Amino acid sequence: MKRTVSLSIICLILMQSVLSQIINKEPLSSRQTYYRIDAKLDPEAKTVTGKMEAYWVNKSTDIVPDIQLHMYMNAFKNNKSTFNKGVGLNLADKKIDFGWIDIKSFEDGKGNDLLGHMTFISPDDNNPDDQTVIKIVTEKSTKPGDTVFIVVQFETKLPQGSFRTGFADDYFFVAQWFPKFGVYEPAGMRYAVNGGWNCHQFHRNSEFYSNHSVYDVKITVPVDYVTGSGGMLINEVTDADGKNKTLTYRAEDIVDFAWTTWPGYAVFTDEWNHVKITLLLPHIREEQVERQFLAVKNALEYLTKNVGPFPWPHLTFVDPPTKGSFAGGMEYTTLFTSASADKLPGFIHLPEMVTVHEFGHAYFMGILASNEFEEPWLDEGVNSFWEERIMDHYWGENSGLIDHPLLKIADKSMSRTSYLGSPNRQLITNREYSWNYPQGTYSMMSYNKAATILYTLMGIIGEETTNEVFREYYRRWAFRHPSGKDFINVVNEVVTKIHGDKFGPDMNWFFDQTLFGTGLVDFKVNRYYNSKIRDFKGIISEADSHRFVAAVTKDDTIYKSTVELSRPGDIVLPVDVLVHFDNGDSIMERWDGKERFKDFTYTGTRQIEWVQIDPEYKIRMDANFVNNSMTDNPDRVPIRRYTNKFIIFMQYFINFISL
Amino acid sequence: MNILTHLKSGAVRSLKAWKGVLVIWILIFSLVSLIAFPLKSGLKSLIGSSMITELLYDSINADVITDMSKGLASLIPAITSGFLLVFFLGFIMNAFLTGGLFSILGNKNSKPSLALFFAGGAANFWSFILITILTAVMILLTASIVGGISFAIVSAAGSGTSAPGATGKVIRIALIVVALLLPILILVADFARAWQVANNEKKPFKAIGIGFSTTFGTFLKSYPLMVIVMVVQSGFGALVMSKLLSLKPSTGGGVFLLFIGSQVLFIIRIMLRAWRYGCVTSIMESPSPCFQRSM
Ligand SMILES: [Zn+2]
Repeated sequence: MKRTVSLSIICLILMQSVLSQIINKEPLSSRQTYYRIDAKLDPEAKTVTGKMEAYWVNKSTDIVPDIQLHMYMNAFKNNKSTFNKGVGLNLADKKIDFGWIDIKSFEDGKGNDLLGHMTFISPDDNNPDDQTVIKIVTEKSTKPGDTVFIVVQFETKLPQGSFRTGFADDYFFVAQWFPKFGVYEPAGMRYAVNGGWNCHQFHRNSEFYSNHSVYDVKITVPVDYVTGSGGMLINEVTDADGKNKTLTYRAEDIVDFAWTTWPGYAVFTDEWNHVKITLLLPHIREEQVERQFLAVKNALEYLTKNVGPFPWPHLTFVDPPTKGSFAGGMEYTTLFTSASADKLPGFIHLPEMVTVHEFGHAYFMGILASNEFEEPWLDEGVNSFWEERIMDHYWGENSGLIDHPLLKIADKSMSRTSYLGSPNRQLITNREYSWNYPQGTYSMMSYNKAATILYTLMGIIGEETTNEVFREYYRRWAFRHPSGKDFINVVNEVVTKIHGDKFGPDMNWFFDQTLFGTGLVDFKVNRYYNSKIRDFKGIISEADSHRFVAAVTKDDTIYKSTVELSRPGDIVLPVDVLVHFDNGDSIMERWDGKERFKDFTYTGTRQIEWVQIDPEYKIRMDANFVNNSMTDNPDRVPIRRYTNKFIIFMQYFINFISL
Repeated sequence: MNILTHLKSGAVRSLKAWKGVLVIWILIFSLVSLIAFPLKSGLKSLIGSSMITELLYDSINADVITDMSKGLASLIPAITSGFLLVFFLGFIMNAFLTGGLFSILGNKNSKPSLALFFAGGAANFWSFILITILTAVMILLTASIVGGISFAIVSAAGSGTSAPGATGKVIRIALIVVALLLPILILVADFARAWQVANNEKKPFKAIGIGFSTTFGTFLKSYPLMVIVMVVQSGFGALVMSKLLSLKPSTGGGVFLLFIGSQVLFIIRIMLRAWRYGCVTSIMESPSPCFQRSM
């Protein structure tokens, strides 16, 4: 009884803790879940042992008989886990390299032991050997408005660093490390027909889905370790014996809590408006500190302006050392990891690109917490689109990724090249769960095709309308769980509000063909020609005779000029067509793209000199830009220049090999 | 005679050999044209009457490469075989041209004529091919030995917890060692060829032996000289590569100027090569105790 009372007090304290505001003035989310974790790292055994007090609030109108939690770390337990199964990889031979999570005890808020009520389930594939999701039937079903408290003692054995979590020697990146609630989706939320837990297993090509939570986390590590996390550091206490220290972090309204610790980190801080930014990176990369801060500040500025505010006053990011590169390129909202290399030359904007991308996830999945398991395009595709816009905006329209006198690559070219350069570009649509993409198409589809689709959408509706779409998406869905359908609804509303029915009653026709279709976009100039219109010349019949009429020669010859366009691609999109005449005139035509071909004709003294479909290359899904234009006088200068440079290179090469 | 005198003598000899230098330039240019101009027309036909080249002004463009990837892929076999052809022909041709160059550089008394150039090239052809191959093998061997040793050091250190950047240091030291050994091997090849031309003996192995003995016999003089020459040569090459290749003329006239300028610079590059041969020949022709012995 006493025990129950004391646990009830704990529950009260927990409730109070989540209600108290330490970081943000107001709760940003509905906070259906809360976690208080007291964790200790054993750097030799590569384990994190912890006690977790957590709760889930039933905000639905359903009576819920169970709770479901992710046990991600069991993906690394053996070769039968869904994560490892069928991959054909040679898993390591040593015990130390595997990872797992053990539940030592599991009680509810009243002290009832729930360990016996716990079963592993495999909702995605029925794999009996997978242990990445647990289901616990609670003592009593949870009524609407009620809260389930749990107290869990767990031990997490970290794996040899792989898939963004684990260790390498004394380097630790601790992610997906504690039992974590799935998301309870009542009927009507996203695609749910009936209420139920959305708690997917850990697959190789899948990320995550969680409620926004408050985290109070205590982490104990050896004193010489440098630590960073997604929380704000509240205090730091060194043990009496001076061996260990305990760091207390608080995070509010984020969807995941991860941390890293390593004696080798150098720590730098900077500020952007209200955000205090902390960067952890190996000493050898200190020369890249400026680059990293510039990147994250640019991303903050651009996304704040064009999407919505970054509400937290703290942000930590990490550039893992080479041995910890497994942790690179991952997002935990107020903590994210970049990726770089020692001595990376400045013209390769790789660290900037990764930083911008992973920071961007604070919006697309962090604030707008979509389901990454089920709709990977909604976070990765949308976020890649913004990453590419930011990179090309700040680092050069043609040099967002590589900026060298000999080679410039725009970041936006990467998604288009990966999508259109893939032999599997037409295999499947973006309607799949992340682990269902066949033949290695997951990244190409979720990141690259989706980003190219969004660029194409922007090419049609315009940049400002696109920004307004995302501002509205943010206003409506921040700190909630939007689905792809919700995003498209926002597009439809904003586009019709700004443009009326210029593009039809909605934009579904666009998404149906692109996101949910496998067709290609391709427009082509078949030919154009200018033919003289001649005066009448010939015989006219009169009453009872024939009269010959000779042509009258005019000063100005009149031409009938014709442009013949075609649409080899299956996707129907409207495009601009720029027709240029020899007298300097240009006419911008609009082709709705509905027919497979289109002719434009003009009559006058001028002749067509060149024709360009989509002259600004805005329809980036177009599978071939080369056939978009035609001219009498192709400009050969760049070809001559490249030939020239090739000659120079070859001459010096021959000279070089000849001793 | 001191190093400066040899450098000067080499320069005078190379200037006098200008006709040979021009012949080398013409032949190398023709060889490169064998692949460059078909490549150019291939690209032209891929682009056709498209205006896509407007995207290529600033740099090669990833979007354009993607869109032309099928066409470009069809050019690759032609480019590869063309490249190999140029590589082998270039190698063989150079043996001939080097023979010619050494002949007109070394003959102090007679006027360096084209007839002498071609005769020298023909006479020393096979032997020079062998010397070039042997030298190339020696260079590769040296590089792989140094590389192997440093790899062993790195992997031995890697098993423990090595300090960050240790690998980089080892690689840097290895590169420096190779760079220090390279002038010696080049000197051996140059002395061997100069000796052979001077003595009209077609014995490549003996020539290499003499190359070694002359290199070490005149080491204090010839090594620093070779280092100076090589620094000038590679500095020039690096400058040309970095500056010329990053120039982006945007008009036909600009491209033509780039073409003329680059060819003039390449002629100077060949001149610098002749200068090196001239310097080595000058050392060899100067009376030295060691050299007397090896005669
Ligand atoms: Zn991402």
